[in-house]
Amino acid sequence: MTAAPWDAIVLGADSNGLVTAHYLARAGRRVLVVDPRQEPDARVDVGWVPPQIIRELKIDARTSGVEQSDPWIAAPLAGGGRLELWRDVAKSADAIRKVSPADAGKWAEFCTRMRRLAGVLEALYVEAAPDIETREIGELLHLGRVGLHVRRLGKQTMIDLIRILPMSIAELLDDWFENDTLKGILGAAGVWHLRQGPRAAGTAFNFLHHHAGSPAGVFRPPWSKLTQTLATMPGVEIRRGTAATIVARGGRATGVRVGNEEISATLVVSSADPRTTFEHLKPQLDAEFVRAVGNIKMRACVVRGAWRGNGSRVPLCVAPSLDYLEHAYDDAKYGRPSAQPYVEAMGTEIHVQYAATVDAGLAARVATALGVSSDQVTLEPANGHLYHGDLTLDQILFMRPVPGWSRYRTPIHGLYLCGPGTHPGGGIAGAAGRNAARVILKET
Amino acid sequence: MASSRTYDAIIIGGGHNGLVTAAYLARAGKKVVVLEKRPRVGGAAVTEEIFPGFKFTMFSYVVSLLRPEIIRDLDLPRHGLHVLPLESTVTPMENGDYLAAWGDHDETRRELYRHSPRDAEAYDEYGRLMHFMAQAVKPILGMVPPDPTSFDPRDLFALLRLGKHFRGLGAERLHALIKLMTMSSADFLDEWFETDVLKATKSASGIIGTFLGPRSPGTAYVLLHHYMGELDGVFRAWGFAKGGTGAVSESIASAARAFGAEIRCDAPVMRVIVKGGRATGVALENGDEISAKVVVTGLDPRRSFLQLLEEKDLPGDFVADIKRFKFRGSSGKVNLALDSLPSFTCMPGIGRQHRGAFSISPSLEYVERAYDDAKYGEFSRRPYMDIVFPSMIDPGMAPAGKHVMSIFVQYAPYNLNGGWTDAKREAFGDAVVNTVEGFAPGFKSRILHRQVITPLDIERITGLSEGNIFAGELALHQLFFMRPAAGWAKFRTPVRAYYQCGAGTHPGGGIMGASGRLAALAILGDGA
Repeated sequence: MTAAPWDAIVLGADSNGLVTAHYLARAGRRVLVVDPRQEPDARVDVGWVPPQIIRELKIDARTSGVEQSDPWIAAPLAGGGRLELWRDVAKSADAIRKVSPADAGKWAEFCTRMRRLAGVLEALYVEAAPDIETREIGELLHLGRVGLHVRRLGKQTMIDLIRILPMSIAELLDDWFENDTLKGILGAAGVWHLRQGPRAAGTAFNFLHHHAGSPAGVFRPPWSKLTQTLATMPGVEIRRGTAATIVARGGRATGVRVGNEEISATLVVSSADPRTTFEHLKPQLDAEFVRAVGNIKMRACVVRGAWRGNGSRVPLCVAPSLDYLEHAYDDAKYGRPSAQPYVEAMGTEIHVQYAATVDAGLAARVATALGVSSDQVTLEPANGHLYHGDLTLDQILFMRPVPGWSRYRTPIHGLYLCGPGTHPGGGIAGAAGRNAARVILKET
Repeated sequence: MASSRTYDAIIIGGGHNGLVTAAYLARAGKKVVVLEKRPRVGGAAVTEEIFPGFKFTMFSYVVSLLRPEIIRDLDLPRHGLHVLPLESTVTPMENGDYLAAWGDHDETRRELYRHSPRDAEAYDEYGRLMHFMAQAVKPILGMVPPDPTSFDPRDLFALLRLGKHFRGLGAERLHALIKLMTMSSADFLDEWFETDVLKATKSASGIIGTFLGPRSPGTAYVLLHHYMGELDGVFRAWGFAKGGTGAVSESIASAARAFGAEIRCDAPVMRVIVKGGRATGVALENGDEISAKVVVTGLDPRRSFLQLLEEKDLPGDFVADIKRFKFRGSSGKVNLALDSLPSFTCMPGIGRQHRGAFSISPSLEYVERAYDDAKYGEFSRRPYMDIVFPSMIDPGMAPAGKHVMSIFVQYAPYNLNGGWTDAKREAFGDAVVNTVEGFAPGFKSRILHRQVITPLDIERITGLSEGNIFAGELALHQLFFMRPAAGWAKFRTPVRAYYQCGAGTHPGGGIMGASGRLAALAILGDGA
């Protein structure tokens, strides 16, 4: 065989796969992206796009269209009418005042405190996860810098950070607010894509994770067309409608197999979830690693779909209280889809939680929640876990995707991961892809 | 003024931690007085004769976490502490089978093998890891938590040393520790075992005293407690104190007295006297005032700061922190006097199983559903229960031929919908008794007397806020340097000469006495 035609093959033309591909291409590598889907994903990317990506890949911010609607959320009120929350903190406070003057008085302070904490996460997310076991001087310095960064934020922020991250979102919100509608809106962000109820420890972290990249007072992630934009940018070749499996020999990745054809490359990068990535490679992996991968909690709980919409661009949140969310989760806990699901509608797209599969009555229940007839709702078949691993405290930072392997490399030489199953996880568009590419470029 | 004597230290509350502090201070030559509001010392660790001839450890029921250095330093065996082993746990299952863990390791393995050969294999490896982890965590129970927000070189140094300690564990164990600290007990056990009833019984120990279910993150680390118990240097020994847990308190009190401490019962403290930002003594409810160089509170944080002091004596931030400190008592107790022992369907007859515990935790779903009831403000219709027959271990607890049965019950939320009433208390007692009857038919007819204790009762009798047996929830954000509030976890308080020594401080509840000992060392270290 002659020299490999490709330096790197990236599996998956999603946001992280494409970000990795373009970073590698920008450094002069010949990159092929392989994706089993025929058509590019037309859906928007939900989540913060770190500004480094826009800048470094010279993405046109106008076409990639990072945006957030204003008001950023609306929720029906028990007594009729809606609670609308705005990008303008004072305007939101005015809206909240109509349902709870006490909550309105605390809104600005809450927004400031949460923004500061999300800022700490943002700083952690644009780097590989800190390696707490390291003995390397460079890494120790990096750890020291992270520590100093946090200390500089002041005592209050440090205490907030230590106290709030392991908390439940319900406890956090009960500390601050009294109004059920408001707590429902914010609590929903704490369980977003997580098969846990708002009373579960660590959901306050999930709340802050999804606050990353948003301005103070906006607690829904922004959306963008990052994937679509990258798919049309020159520099990498994308082969669609092609299911590929990784080929490895003697613990070293040598390329991918597509049908009967083997495409060789010195480097393979997978944005698929870790379990799928390693499924065929088990014979070449040690038992501990296989067990750790098997133990990754990946509990699908979201069904997506579409509805005719209400003609408004304002996202609509149906999670009237923390108890409503908790009840919805109780069903999931025993393996059933929620009898009364949490539904969020953004334009014509809908997010339904908790449901791992689409049962016969789900569309009707979603329609009831949205207050429309059931023929206006269509649900897609369930499609695994969008985040490739729950964002729980035991599966973040240096514990993601599995303890000891948080640095995008894998026990298979030449095989790297770059998907949301790695740090910093789902709900952040392209950060894992960029971190992975930087590690790869340093190491190969 | 009734008393003009001046003490070196006043200890408010004669719970076991207060008594430990008193004993250590007296041992160092300090003149100490303990003020207890009830007629007897012990707080939540008391033994009382509720029905003539029948003695009960009212609230708490087993001993295993009492720190060995305390037993040694205070020479507690000489003062009457005698711990009897409680070695088996039998879990009756819904299908009539059971799962048993016996004192004999090989026998337990054989029993486990009957349920799952795979789990029997994993059991030893699990035990080794947990034993190691417990050893790794133990030094933390005996250290004063450093303040991570402080720039004091002593704190930075302590933090560095702590970091070094954890890094010294090695990667694999460090990861296991992080998992233990953050996962739910059900998820953690899922990584090891497949037998549902095994996971249910093990995870039940993770929920004791918390307002969480086995699937709630943050419950896994309590699994470690089972491997942390240390009696006479024997690990994993759960024990029952001869004479009940009250005997533990009595032995510590006896040691304190031997060192010269004075203990006054029926002496409820009304408030702490603060002059110029410094505690100078206490005022009793009967109007007496006693002064001392330092005042130490063994009460929980809410009572210590919001009741005994006035808000103006404390910084606003601190008051806010204490106000949001969570208690949420979730457990109750049913104490029964029995004419004879009940026979359980799963293991008929009367035998050695009655010298151990019965755990009513037939499946994970059973325990989780018990939690669901409590989550929405009801007591569990079919609760998780930990049952022991103290008279089988210590015959002195009941008249000859009769027995006492102690049932620890979860969940019974303090904030019950509509509030606790006498009728609700009895309904709760009925739920407990009827559930046991399902596993041991004929049991109800053996009951001579019944005492039902709700979290509200625990609060009324012992003073523990919301009836939380740990003097504050053992949740991640309320541990270590966050207990009871960030910046105030070193047993000192914002009021000079006012110290805290109760389970509301690090390392928390469970008849460990560790808080009391660390507080005494902090006080002595300050040169008080």
